[in-house]
Amino acid sequence: MRTGHFKERTGQLVALSDSKVVWGWTVAAIAALIVLPFVIGNYQLTLMVSALIAVIGAVGLNMLTGTTGLISLGQAGFLAVGAYTNGILLADYGLPVWISLPAGGLVAGLISIVVGIPSLRLKGLYLAITTLAFAFIINHVILYAEGLTHGPNGLFVTGAKMFGIDLQKGKPLYYLALGLTILTILGALNLSRTRIGRAWMAIRDHDIAARVMGVDLVRYKLLAFFMSSFVVGIAGGLLSLQIRFINIDVFALILSIEALAIIILGGLGSIAGAVLGAIFLSFLPEAIRLFFETFGDPQSTLYTSYVYEIRGIAYGVVIVLFLRFKPDGLIGVWRDARKYWSNWPLAY
Amino acid sequence: MDFLLLLVSTGLVSGAAYGLIAMGFALVYKSTGVVNFAQGELVMLTAYIAFSLSNTFHLSFFPLILVTIPVSMLIGLTLERIFIRPMLGEPVFAIVMVTVGLAVILRGVTIMIWGSEPFNFTAGLSNDVIQVAGVPFYPAQLYLIGALAVVSLLAWLFLRFTRMGIAMRAVAANETAALLVGVSVSRIHAFAWMLSAGIAAIAGILFAANFKLVPDLWFQGLKSFPAVILGGMDSVIGAAVGGLAIGVIENLAQGYVGQGLREISGFVVIIIVLMVRPYGLFGNREIERV
Repeated sequence: MRTGHFKERTGQLVALSDSKVVWGWTVAAIAALIVLPFVIGNYQLTLMVSALIAVIGAVGLNMLTGTTGLISLGQAGFLAVGAYTNGILLADYGLPVWISLPAGGLVAGLISIVVGIPSLRLKGLYLAITTLAFAFIINHVILYAEGLTHGPNGLFVTGAKMFGIDLQKGKPLYYLALGLTILTILGALNLSRTRIGRAWMAIRDHDIAARVMGVDLVRYKLLAFFMSSFVVGIAGGLLSLQIRFINIDVFALILSIEALAIIILGGLGSIAGAVLGAIFLSFLPEAIRLFFETFGDPQSTLYTSYVYEIRGIAYGVVIVLFLRFKPDGLIGVWRDARKYWSNWPLAY
Repeated sequence: MDFLLLLVSTGLVSGAAYGLIAMGFALVYKSTGVVNFAQGELVMLTAYIAFSLSNTFHLSFFPLILVTIPVSMLIGLTLERIFIRPMLGEPVFAIVMVTVGLAVILRGVTIMIWGSEPFNFTAGLSNDVIQVAGVPFYPAQLYLIGALAVVSLLAWLFLRFTRMGIAMRAVAANETAALLVGVSVSRIHAFAWMLSAGIAAIAGILFAANFKLVPDLWFQGLKSFPAVILGGMDSVIGAAVGGLAIGVIENLAQGYVGQGLREISGFVVIIIVLMVRPYGLFGNREIERV
C-alpha cells in the first residue's frame, strides 16, 4: 500500500509540481480559459476580467503579506499609483500601452520602496498603520496634484491600442489580463522557490533569526515591497483599462481590506490560495445579488439601495468566519479534502 | 495672533475628539495586545444609538450620556463575546483582522439601519456662543474638551488605584504571570472592551454634537491613529495628549501651509514619529529575544 508521497531527488523538491495530474489539470484549465470568451456573454466576460485583475493583485499582496509577513493596509494606494500612471501616460502623453502598463508597475514599485523604508524599523501593527497612512497620503496627492492627475475631475483612460486592436474591448482585454495573470502566477511560483523566496519566508517566520542566519533584512524587505507593488501596480493599470474612468473614489480604503480579505480567505502565504480567494471574492457580490433577487421585490430593492453596505457586510462576515473556523483558508480546506481522500478509509 | 489663537483653540477641540477615540484604542491595546480597528465604527454606532435615544426620550445632555454609556458598554461586551473571545489564543494578526471584519460589518449595519443622510444632532446642548479668554466657543466644543479632561483623569485614577485597573496593568505587563496570580484575564479583556465602548460613546455623542451625525463618522477612528501612535499604543494618557497634539498640528498645517494638508498632516506626523521612535513618544520599548 502506498504510505505517502515521498520526494527522492532534489529535482522533485524544487520542481513547481512533480505530479502529472497537476500539470494535466493546469493545461486543461488554461485551455478552458482561452476558449471561455467564445462561450460566455459580455457581462460574464467583464466579471471574468475583474476576477483576473483581482487574482493579479492578490498574488502581488501575497508576496508582501503572505510570504514576507509584512502586513499592508495600503494596497489601494499602490493600485491607485499603477492605475494613474498607466492612465496618464496613455491618455495624456499618448504612449503605447506596452510602455505605460509596465511603467505603472514600476512607479508603484518605486513609491513602495519609500513606504518600505519605515518597515525596516516597524513591525506588525505599526507597519500596517504606516501603510494605511501612506495610502491616505497618496490619495490626497492625487486629489491635489490637479495639473498631473486631473484631481477631483477624474481621468478618462482611453487609447490602449496594439497592432491596431483596441485592448480595452472585451476579448482583447480578457486575453491581455489572462496572459498577465499566467505570467504573474508563474513568476510568483518561481520566485518562491529561489533564494529570494526562502529569504522572505525566513523573515516572516522570525526576522531577527533570519538576520542572524545572514538574510539581509534591508534588501529583502525592500525587495518584497518593490516586487509586490510592481505586480499590484500592473493590476491597477489593468483596472484603469477596464473601467476607463478613474478617480480617487475607486481606490477607497475598502479596497485594501478587500485585498487582505482575499488572501486570508485563500490561505495566507499560498499562491494557489490567493488565486482561489480572488476568484471566490470576485464572484461573491454577484452571488449576493442573485441571492437577493430570488426573493423578489422588497429584498431586491433593499439590495439595490444598499449595495456597498451589503457587500461590505459580506466581506466582513467572510473574513470573520474564515479566521474563526478555517484559519488556513480555502487552500487549507482543499488540503484537508485531498488528505481525506488519499488516506481513506484510514483517518490521518 | 488672533488667528493663531483661533487655530489652536479649534485644534484643541478636534484634538479632544481624537484623544477620546485614541484612548479607546489604547485601552484595548494595552490589555489585550490587539488594535481594535472597529473603534471608529463603535464611535459611529454609539452616536447613532444616542441620536435615537434622544429623539425617543427627549433627554438633555447629561441624562443622555448616562443612558448611552451603559448601552454602549453592553454592545462592547457583546461584540467581545461574539467576535473576539472565540479567537483567544490565535495569532494577533488574525484577531486584528477580525476587528477589521467587524468594522466593515458594523459600518454596513449602521448605515442600513439609519440611512446615509446626515442628521443634525444637538445632544441637548445649546448653540449660544461662549467667550473664553477672547476666543468664541460653542458649548459642545467646551464639553468635548472637558470630557477629554474628565475621562483622562478617571482613566488615570482607575488604572492607578482601583483593583480592576491594577489587574488590567498586570495583564498588560504579562498575561501569563497575571493569570498565575489569580487575575481573570478573560474578564479583563471583556472589561477593556466595555470601557473602550463607553469612551467611544462619549466621543461619538460629542463629535456628532460638534459637527454632524454623518455615516462618515467611522473615519474619525482611522484619523485618530496618529494620536495613538504619537502617544504610544500602550499609553492611555499618552493617547489623550497625542490627540490634542494632532488636532493642533492639523489646524496649524491647514491655516499656515495649505488647505489639503489638514487631512494628511496627522499621517505625515506619525510617519516621522515612527521613523524616529518606532514605539511612540510615551510607549514602552520592547526588547525581543530570538
